[in-house]
Amino acid sequence: MDFFDFIQSITDGVLFGTTYALIGIGFTMIFGVMHKINLAYAATSIAGAYVSWAVGTLVPLPAIVTFLIAVLGGGAIGYLVYLCCFKFVPLSSPLATLLSTVGMLILIDEIVVHETDGMPQPYPALFDDVYFEIGELYGVRGDLLFIFFLSLVATTVLLFMLYRTKLGMATRAVAQQPVAAELCGISIERTNASTFVITGLLGGLAGAMIGASVGLLSPLLTLPVTVKGLIVTVIGGLGSIPGAIIAGLLVGAFENFFQALRGVTERDLYVMLLLFVFLTFRPGGIFSRSVGRD
Amino acid sequence: MLELDGLTKHFGGVRAVDKLSLSVKEGEIFGLIGPNGSGKSTTVNLICGVFPVTAGSIRFAGADITAAQPHQALAAGVVRTFQNIRLFSNLTVWQNLWVAQNGMESRKSENFLKRWLSGDAPARRSVEELLEFAGLIGRRDEYAGNLSFGEQRRLELGRALAAKPKMLLLDEPAAGMNLEEVGHLDQRLRKLVERGVTILLVEHVMELVMGVTDRIAVLNFGQKIAEGTPAEIQNDKAVQEAYLGGSSGS
Amino acid sequence: MDFYFGLLQIIGVHTILGLSAYIVLLTGQVTIAQAGFFAIGAYIAGMLTVLAGWHLVPAMLVAALVAGFVACLVGFPALRVKGLMLVVATTAFGEAVRLFWFNFDYQIAKGDVQVGPLGGEGFKQIRFFPENGWTTGDVALFIWFWVAVIMAGLWWMDRSRAGAVLRAVGEDELAAQSVGINLTAAKVSAFAVGGFIAGIGGAIYAHYTTHIEHANFGVILATFAIAYPILGGLSSVLGTLLAVIFIQGFLVEGLRFLGDWRNLLFGALIVLAMNVRPRGLIDERVLNTLRRTFSIGQGGGNA
Repeated sequence: MDFFDFIQSITDGVLFGTTYALIGIGFTMIFGVMHKINLAYAATSIAGAYVSWAVGTLVPLPAIVTFLIAVLGGGAIGYLVYLCCFKFVPLSSPLATLLSTVGMLILIDEIVVHETDGMPQPYPALFDDVYFEIGELYGVRGDLLFIFFLSLVATTVLLFMLYRTKLGMATRAVAQQPVAAELCGISIERTNASTFVITGLLGGLAGAMIGASVGLLSPLLTLPVTVKGLIVTVIGGLGSIPGAIIAGLLVGAFENFFQALRGVTERDLYVMLLLFVFLTFRPGGIFSRSVGRD
Repeated sequence: MLELDGLTKHFGGVRAVDKLSLSVKEGEIFGLIGPNGSGKSTTVNLICGVFPVTAGSIRFAGADITAAQPHQALAAGVVRTFQNIRLFSNLTVWQNLWVAQNGMESRKSENFLKRWLSGDAPARRSVEELLEFAGLIGRRDEYAGNLSFGEQRRLELGRALAAKPKMLLLDEPAAGMNLEEVGHLDQRLRKLVERGVTILLVEHVMELVMGVTDRIAVLNFGQKIAEGTPAEIQNDKAVQEAYLGGSSGS
Repeated sequence: MDFYFGLLQIIGVHTILGLSAYIVLLTGQVTIAQAGFFAIGAYIAGMLTVLAGWHLVPAMLVAALVAGFVACLVGFPALRVKGLMLVVATTAFGEAVRLFWFNFDYQIAKGDVQVGPLGGEGFKQIRFFPENGWTTGDVALFIWFWVAVIMAGLWWMDRSRAGAVLRAVGEDELAAQSVGINLTAAKVSAFAVGGFIAGIGGAIYAHYTTHIEHANFGVILATFAIAYPILGGLSSVLGTLLAVIFIQGFLVEGLRFLGDWRNLLFGALIVLAMNVRPRGLIDERVLNTLRRTFSIGQGGGNA
């Protein structure tokens, strides 16, 4: 592998890594607010994309509208996950919520399989015919660049919402001090629900972006995306949004680099290795200030 | 018996405990008081090894326990209770006392496997004694989570005694109690001292602290600002300032 | 008849897998690593019987010991983290094990065929049972002998002081520490025993399917491993058995006539069960009723 291949694989990886970053943000936000794991989250994202695909089979849509529908679909499914797995399951049984999200993951996946007979379905992309050549050997795929910018915009909107709006303030308040937040008149239940909707919207976008960059949607995407999203969450540090962003890009680059170097069967081994390195040397994630309390 | 020398703990940039030196003598009840956030609970956690120490040393009965894990501190004879009761609520009262049989004696007397699997005969006898001490004989098969608040406090104290400690660290044992219950607690603490247990009492309830302790140390912002008998502490200027809003420091 | 023996085999092996997660869950640790230990047991036992010509029982025990040993090694660093971090760490470990076998080739010639694990192709021809003339009935009996041994062992452990100690750790780590329980020792031993049991399960699995490949040991299998004890309830080993019978016997086999609707129902039922019975099908209350009915309050025994 020469230098240009190296740069090329890293660039592609970083650009695709933005989708991992979005998934990681979703996991991390739900964990931050509820201190619970939502294992159905990546399935929500892919399902959001599937909703837009289903609408697309009924009426022909421009790609950008398809993406928009995916976002809305993700939000709706996110709320459904909240209703089924979190609202009525007692908080004192963390194992029960965990397992119910697993059940939800299976359910969502099976609905998709049922509706598509398990066959991969084509998914539209934008700017996939654009290719920016830089020099003779190096270039950037237009669709990946578009994904990168769209994710950037989504993250900016999210951060603006979290830090500049009342809903965002309430969300952060519940994440930090649920009891105090409730005493200040913030409804924890409503905040939890809105967190699921917001992360669902974000997930729908991520699902659409994954579909667009691969060109296909397949139920087989769910598990790997779940695993990668969780890894991104841990490397970025639980509850840290900037951490999730950087970790997403890092994992994307790492994965693509080792795919180019060692082939597709081995690449994930190196991603796991990266995770173990972080767990051993920086268990608090990229931005952990110091070794935390207990 | 317990010697803290220059004990220091930083959390990030916060100095929770700052160069604290103390000496608790065998057989006394030593009070540790201070405003909220002054580092009392952190001190307890450092002594039992829940947090690693940033600097300084902890010696107990001649042995250095600065770097001890909680179970090692307990083996040395130091046992603590919690500010908010932490029982194993899905285990029965009897089981709560049973799993706590990890003291020195059972450690050296019987073979390892037997101690782990069945709990030896002395351990079972000890559980019966503790049930009686805590006044919970009739409740032995009840899940700890179903006990009343008072019963839970008694069970927690019984569980702490299961290891036959030489020293007890009590983290606000009177929290949530009414005056009558505080009176009972006062008597129970004196009974423990008669049995040869040394007590470090972290407490907010002044009636208890002033009445029962032999000596008191006062913490503020992680530093010791005064030490002496209850009478001396009550007349100390720096202490009054710390408690009456002199948060700018002494 | 063979169909029912086959079903019994599946239920037996999955019960062993679920029990391997049960003991780890008792300490409050959610582990997605069990499929990894299961895979280690399967591949190593298979290699010992096929490549080295061992009898199944010693091969199985050695494979289980290796799986337990690996669990011990992984346990020390992994159990420093909790909750979501542990879920992710164990997921990654399980995936790393799977990918290891995905990339692992070791074949030797036996007669005129090549045998042994071959990367993505898998490990074929693990023919200990047919070569030694075992019928499916014999195999089912063999499996259930081990299920009974493991269940009896865990039942007895559960009622001993060690069981109470593990549960104490699972309820409140800080309180457990402060009554003198060595957290690392308790968690790592639970993890190691879990790895050992998963290793036995894997070894048996490899021999009755005769063909294993990396894809058999993915996240899905690991999720099932923890789903059984959680769904069944952590009050007793009986819960795990009941959950396996419910899922493998009723949902997977009993509802086969529903076609792919069955899989939809499967996810939905798990969600429903956790909403209605968050502490599992057999929770403390059911267990106490059972005890009173059959008055088996004292003295162990297996199921």
